Amino acid sequence: MKIAALGIDVGSTTVKMTAVNAAGEMLWHHLETVDPRVEKQVDSFLNKLQDDVDSLKDIPLIATGYGRNLVHQAVKKVTEITCHAKGVYHQLGRGGTLVDIGGQDSKAIVIGDQGQVIDFAMNDKCAAGTGRFLEHSAARMQVPIAEMGSVALSAKEEVAISSTCTVFAESEIISMIAHGVAVEPILMGLHRSLIRRVVAMVRSVGLVPPLLLSGGVVKNPAIRKVIEEETKEKVFLPEHPQLMGAYGAALFALKMIE
Amino acid sequence: MQMTIPSRKEVIKDIKKRKGLVAAVLPIHYSRALLRTFDIYPIELWGPPKVDVSLGGTHLQTYVCSIVHNALSFLKMGALNVADLLLIPHTCDSLQGLASILIDLIKPEQAIFPLYLPRGQREDDLTFLADELHSLYAQLSDFTGKHPSDEDLLAAIKREEMSDLLMAKLYKKKQLMGINNIDFYRLIRSREYLPAEQFSDLADEALQTSGEPIQGIPIILSGIVPEPMEVLSTIDEMNGEVVADDLACCGRRLYEPGTGTDPFRRMAERIIYAPPDPTRGNSIEERVKYLTGMAQNTGAKGIIFYDVKFCEPELFDLPELRNALKEVGLASINVEVNINNPLPHQVATRIGAFLEMLDS
Amino acid sequence: MGLTDSLKYYWNVKAMGQPFLHWQRRQAERNPKVSSRWRTDILSPPLRIGARTKELVSRHYLEGRYASGHRPVAWVTSGGPVEILQALGFYVLYPENHGALCGARRAVIDISSEAENSGYSIDICSYARTDIGSVLSGKTPVGRLPKPDLLLACTNICQTVLHWYRVLARHFKVPLILIDTPFVYTKASDHALKYVKKQLENSIPICERVAARTLDYRRLKEVIKLSKDAAELWLEIIGRGRHRPAPISVFDQFIHMAPIVEMRGKKETVDFYAALLKELDENISRGIGAVRNERKRLLWDNLPIWYRLRYLAENLGEHGISVVASTYTNAWGELAPLMNQEKPLESMARTYIYPILNQGTKYKLDTMKRMVEEFQLDGVILHSDRSCKPYSIGQIDQRNKLIQEYGIPALLLEADHDDPRAYSEEQVASRLASFVEMLDD
Repeated sequence: MKIAALGIDVGSTTVKMTAVNAAGEMLWHHLETVDPRVEKQVDSFLNKLQDDVDSLKDIPLIATGYGRNLVHQAVKKVTEITCHAKGVYHQLGRGGTLVDIGGQDSKAIVIGDQGQVIDFAMNDKCAAGTGRFLEHSAARMQVPIAEMGSVALSAKEEVAISSTCTVFAESEIISMIAHGVAVEPILMGLHRSLIRRVVAMVRSVGLVPPLLLSGGVVKNPAIRKVIEEETKEKVFLPEHPQLMGAYGAALFALKMIE
Repeated sequence: MQMTIPSRKEVIKDIKKRKGLVAAVLPIHYSRALLRTFDIYPIELWGPPKVDVSLGGTHLQTYVCSIVHNALSFLKMGALNVADLLLIPHTCDSLQGLASILIDLIKPEQAIFPLYLPRGQREDDLTFLADELHSLYAQLSDFTGKHPSDEDLLAAIKREEMSDLLMAKLYKKKQLMGINNIDFYRLIRSREYLPAEQFSDLADEALQTSGEPIQGIPIILSGIVPEPMEVLSTIDEMNGEVVADDLACCGRRLYEPGTGTDPFRRMAERIIYAPPDPTRGNSIEERVKYLTGMAQNTGAKGIIFYDVKFCEPELFDLPELRNALKEVGLASINVEVNINNPLPHQVATRIGAFLEMLDS
Repeated sequence: MGLTDSLKYYWNVKAMGQPFLHWQRRQAERNPKVSSRWRTDILSPPLRIGARTKELVSRHYLEGRYASGHRPVAWVTSGGPVEILQALGFYVLYPENHGALCGARRAVIDISSEAENSGYSIDICSYARTDIGSVLSGKTPVGRLPKPDLLLACTNICQTVLHWYRVLARHFKVPLILIDTPFVYTKASDHALKYVKKQLENSIPICERVAARTLDYRRLKEVIKLSKDAAELWLEIIGRGRHRPAPISVFDQFIHMAPIVEMRGKKETVDFYAALLKELDENISRGIGAVRNERKRLLWDNLPIWYRLRYLAENLGEHGISVVASTYTNAWGELAPLMNQEKPLESMARTYIYPILNQGTKYKLDTMKRMVEEFQLDGVILHSDRSCKPYSIGQIDQRNKLIQEYGIPALLLEADHDDPRAYSEEQVASRLASFVEMLDD
């Protein structure tokens, strides 16, 4: 395996690393739950990669994500906004509006036809616009996170969750359960509530089609369906939605040696 | 560039040694000269950041901004015991509320002086503000037993005008001085507590130094106050250069010299005709024009609207303001902070991504 | 003003709309129907005047719908000096009232989202967000709002209104008159009164230019007299709450206050309140109270929670609690004595600088204490309104003082006057329940 550059994305819940060849193709990737000792974890990532490649000497590494400043092995740090845009643009071959729903925050990024960031918005002020909102509520209803989306989609009807505050929403849910409302319609309502917040953010930067999705939350099928309903736009997904930040970082690293 | 800026503590000690009085002054606009003629030294209170807010929280709801929460907490901590009086300009509904609960319900030891600032720039507003300053003069006269003359007032006004002119010069020369953002704003913001003559000396000294010109990504910072100040070192680290600002504590108080010999009118003029400020009722058009001109003069490529959460005067203008700036090719972002918290990493990321966007 | 627009106005409003609304009201009066959802076991049937309130409010919005091109239109803040505009024949719209109506009809989340999607923060006042959302999207439960030819913002209720009207001014590109009313910490200064009067004077030529007619001072005096008469009647209506059982609750007052806010200075408003007063007096003589089994009586402080009026009335009524007075509805009556048609501008300056919202927190506390005594109340509910800082800041200390210094039970209830997303029914219900238990102890 002939790799040319590396990218690492230290997120709030997972760490992702990718390796690309000189043509910018992703040859290797690895994902793990984040360890508080990030530097050590990066070393172990590099050791794993070492087994597969000839040499890591002079291969540049760029770090992105929430913990990027903790990665001392990196030659440079670039924000996840710029990296996500780069990664998604490179993989899907077009600009548009990228929506990334993560555990800690969600972002909307307008990507130009050269892959550059034209505008962006982030929701990080309150949990109600992030994946945490769903995880929190799903846990309250004892639905495993991985099944949240499919359970929601099996609902025959939907209830409206009006609270935008996670704490208020929780008491709203408790009261619904107390009134005998089933779990499925509540879950569907929660998805709708989250996506409406996200779509509001997308509209604030102006939705330029196509609509591209990334982030760990997009594995959830209900997210994709509701976002299509709310925006009336077809959604495009990259092959590895969770790796786009790390991939973008690797592409920036590649550019450094060119 | 190495400069020694006296701390607030040192300045207050000095004032007390001279038997001067200390006024804790809340944001934003007032007349320093008026206080000084009574031998009262204004020490401004922009928060301050990072205090125990539970003390203010026993009087204020959570939807009141952190500047007001912190000011009250600071007072309740006893940290304002050095102040002989509090001056609270009528800047917004929350500061109005703070002044009112202090006067009516909390009743601290210090005397409280509110100051109403008119919301227009009409002749009537000017007359009213001159009258209002006159009325404050009468109250301070009662409080101190002193009766400064018009000449005393004019001398104090001119001293402040000189300081403001030097501050404007500092802005013009910033990039040539080789000073980074955080150090520059430490210097500018020392005007919040230094007596004018001391600030002028400091500014003179700074203007004589020169260093390696800084060539970062040129941006404008807009908002109330750059707190926590880490935001400026974050901008430094990410190679941003604040070439001008529209901050309430700094650039929005670059008062022009007044005209005429009626001291009250002259003080009022300086405030009424200051750079546009939503808290003084300026229209969105005036702000667009001002910010566009500022960007043209300084070569700024983008604007960071750095706002304190719950600050209605700033929040209302934002959408129209940002749209209008976009139309003339000026990118902008909006971040919101609670000045009591350390700078959230998401805010740093957003500012970083914005600078990367401007740079590409 | 165009002939076609005037014809349209006469046809739709005068020829068709008004007679229909009047007929609808007569039907409702002849055949009073109580909704099956109305808890007649707890509350007395709705006041008969309701049919007339509905007619008045519907007619007001109907006139608005066809006003453009026929009459000059002004959008005004709720505490704004409206008499000059009325005397010049303006159609006057109150976006705050429209906001309240959207709240009561549960349309706020939908409309306000339109503003939020355009970048307006969820931390700004929900009336403003609703209005801006309505302007941007055209959404409204009343059909259509007329575009303003003139805007008038008066800072006597908050500074928020000026920021909000600056946005409207930029959107509609029409003149904005600012009447700045310096906050009264203790007493209004002479220079502040002079300042307000001067601004009122200077606003006249602008209003005249937009209306394309000259102000007739005789007409202005008449309008001020009508404003005063209606406000005095409103004050009397509120005062009827002193009777046990109280013939009208604040939840009724919130509904029937629409005309005193948005139709001041009109003859029909005076007639309307005279009729309401008459109905209350009949009920008093027959011993009919708003709450059937009135055991305890409360004061409400701050704006209503528009989207939960009925719920709150029933929730409290169930325990025999009648909320009979409110500092908020009182605000629309208490200034009546200051109005004087013989000194139009001078008395207007005084009237418009002294609303409760433009006065210090001590005045608010004193008002609460006075009302508790006058109305013989058992406690106070202070609605801590996320969207209204001038009304809400101070409530924590006011509540403590009511309890500790005056021995009056008081409850702080966190909500928002228009946005249900900042309201948690579960929390409200449990707080009310424990407050009720406390009152009974």
